Amino acid sequence: MAHDWQPDFEQLVDKHQSMVFSLAWRMTGDRGLAEEIAQDVFLELDRHLSRIESEAHACFWLRRVAMSRSTDALRRRKVRGMDLWVEMEDRHSVQAEIHSSPLGVRLEQLLATLPEQQRAALILRYQEGLTPEEIAATLESPVATVKSHLQRGLKLLRAKALNHLREYVRVKEQVRGV
Amino acid sequence: MEFEPNEDFERELRQAFERRPAPPGLKRKLLARKSAQRPQHLSVIWQRLAASIVLIAALAGGLEWRNLEEQRKDEAARQQVMKALRITAHALNQMNAQLAAHGRAANE
Repeated sequence: MAHDWQPDFEQLVDKHQSMVFSLAWRMTGDRGLAEEIAQDVFLELDRHLSRIESEAHACFWLRRVAMSRSTDALRRRKVRGMDLWVEMEDRHSVQAEIHSSPLGVRLEQLLATLPEQQRAALILRYQEGLTPEEIAATLESPVATVKSHLQRGLKLLRAKALNHLREYVRVKEQVRGV
Repeated sequence: MEFEPNEDFERELRQAFERRPAPPGLKRKLLARKSAQRPQHLSVIWQRLAASIVLIAALAGGLEWRNLEEQRKDEAARQQVMKALRITAHALNQMNAQLAAHGRAANE
């Protein structure tokens, strides 16, 4: 199919670097690794630029490859036996505080404790605002599976956040009591 | 399973999961890697092309050598057959001569 859209690599980088970096960061929990993944994803885009048909296609392609490369990086780390979860918590807590509210920071930390597939579905849902159908297309999973991951991930995250809030309120009341 | 969102919690999640700005040097590093990869990429293409040419030449040479070898063997086999035929013809001639001599002796 012929298409008039002429991709400009640098413009695509300008426009989508934040998205690709954020996806990789939230998936891996490692800022340095996320930057590396983002660079790899854009270099791969450069090699496939002739096959990209539109702005929307570029955005979809970048999301899909960013998620896939992040998952690959996580698996490589698991093989190497690194304690990712502890590391994720530490790094998120340091970096996230710069931009977010305390609850926001805590939610990001709690996100890092969710299983990989639930985390991927929630990131695409709440960072990118995708529908379950769009998430399914991005992750190449059945829609029912994605809905299940969203449901379970959300439930787990909500329960963890509630525990955190209860603890927060308890500590505040203790402080007030003193 | 139906996906049932909770609006307040979802709003909180959207705020918490806003996109983060990319590191300031990301584009610069990316473009540096891109320009560093291009010549390497071209040199890899040339290396592959040269390797392909060498491989094709080796294969063609091998095929040609095999043809020549087959021709040489064919010629050797032909020569052997001709030699065998000559020996047979010579033996038959000798036998004919002996038979003719034997016939003459019998007639006398």
